[in-house]
Amino acid sequence: MIAFEACGLVKTYGTKRALDGFTLRVAAGEIAGLAGRNGAGKTTFVEVVAGLVRPEAGRVRVRGVDALARPRTARAMIGVCPQETALYPAATVAEHLRLFGALAGLRGTALRRAVDDIAERMDLTDIAGQPAGLLSGGQRKRTQAATALIAERPLLLLDEPTVGADPATRAQLLAVVADRAAAGAAIVYTTHYLPELAELNATVAVAQAGRVVARGTQAELSLERVNALLVAGGPGREDGDGAVAA
Amino acid sequence: MALSLPDTSIRLTALVRHNATLMLREPGPVISRLVQPLVLITLMHPLYAAALAAEGAQAGTVQVVTGMLVMFSLLALSVVGTGIMTERSWRTWDRLRSTPTPAAELLSAKAVPAFALLVVLQAEVIAFGVAVFGLRVPDPALLAVAVASWALALLGIGMALGAVLRSQSELHVAYDIGGILFSALGGALIPSGELPGWARAIAPVSPGYWAMGALRSALRDQAAATLRDAAVLAGVAVAACALTAWRMSRGAPRSRLL
Repeated sequence: MIAFEACGLVKTYGTKRALDGFTLRVAAGEIAGLAGRNGAGKTTFVEVVAGLVRPEAGRVRVRGVDALARPRTARAMIGVCPQETALYPAATVAEHLRLFGALAGLRGTALRRAVDDIAERMDLTDIAGQPAGLLSGGQRKRTQAATALIAERPLLLLDEPTVGADPATRAQLLAVVADRAAAGAAIVYTTHYLPELAELNATVAVAQAGRVVARGTQAELSLERVNALLVAGGPGREDGDGAVAA
Repeated sequence: MALSLPDTSIRLTALVRHNATLMLREPGPVISRLVQPLVLITLMHPLYAAALAAEGAQAGTVQVVTGMLVMFSLLALSVVGTGIMTERSWRTWDRLRSTPTPAAELLSAKAVPAFALLVVLQAEVIAFGVAVFGLRVPDPALLAVAVASWALALLGIGMALGAVLRSQSELHVAYDIGGILFSALGGALIPSGELPGWARAIAPVSPGYWAMGALRSALRDQAAATLRDAAVLAGVAVAACALTAWRMSRGAPRSRLL
């Protein structure tokens, strides 16, 4: 079942076309690894789906909901972990988790349980009372990811969540991501680090110049070939819907 | 997976608590704005009392209390605007925007602690005037209308500046120069009647002018004049809040420095 689809997204900044017909479909339970060189449009794509940026053309559907026409309803189904760490320096780890849990609609016992669960999964329990401004880089990464993962959502957008993370942080995060996919969430996982996609058994999409130019499973599109596409800049374009690049 | 849109009240409660916590964890600017007017009122009261003695025993007290109240509440705009600007520079605003929370709720939750601060600041100055210099408050309810309308106008202006300007540097320039300029034009430092003719002519463009009018009228028990000036301040608040909501719902402008 397709849980998420973005079709023909176009977004222009000045004279630069950040998205140029970007198309991607992700099934429930699928982890779609989105790879691409810097400036390929990955982050703009995430921002459009998260409702932070409005595209000039195209459509986005989350579980059948038109995210451009009904953004609040769509956002209630999306967990977002942005590329840049964005935390409140004076607020503690626990306060971050409670805030984003409450904004996701959790309350009372469910909120407390979710905070405890995600803190334990992401190894944050011992630092729950520490302000974010005093955390190490890895702890900040884990805290940010935990705020995106605290509520179970049908769609998770994880934009390079492991950049700068230590191996332990990376392993913890990948384990939670795999669990969420096993529970039925559709996950878009952007990364420059292709071995992570192998570890997650993710399908692969390669973005180039604002659109997906290759798409398939790892059986159809090996990571070696993806790497070659990224290094070479990629071959001809394609519609990005479940087919392998030429 | 159970899906439900969270209730507005749940989100607002969480966000108000969060914003109040952030404000209280870094209390320096708040303490500064609360203490400074008391010091200046104490030092300048004899000067104002002597200068305005011909207008009555209360005239000097009313001028120094309302003047310092308006000036320091204008300078306290920095606390309000900085709250918005830091959300932008920390990138946390986009994190909040990517939740189901509407921009109006995000801004309302930001506004509640700031509004409380602005009311406390004004109440503190007035209470100080009453306790130390015998300021008379003939109708506390009327004065509360003036205080509330001025707090709302300040809140709107502060949030609009935080939303529209592009950096902390621009924000400081706007607050420091704007605060002093609008205070002076409004008659906070020198009674309006003593300002140069050109300054009297343009004084109504300053929200401080209407705040001084509302506060002074309330302290003279002039209900009609108080309500008129309070209505102007409420209009300023509505316009500024609308500008802020429109700007922030579209994503904040980014400075090269942010």
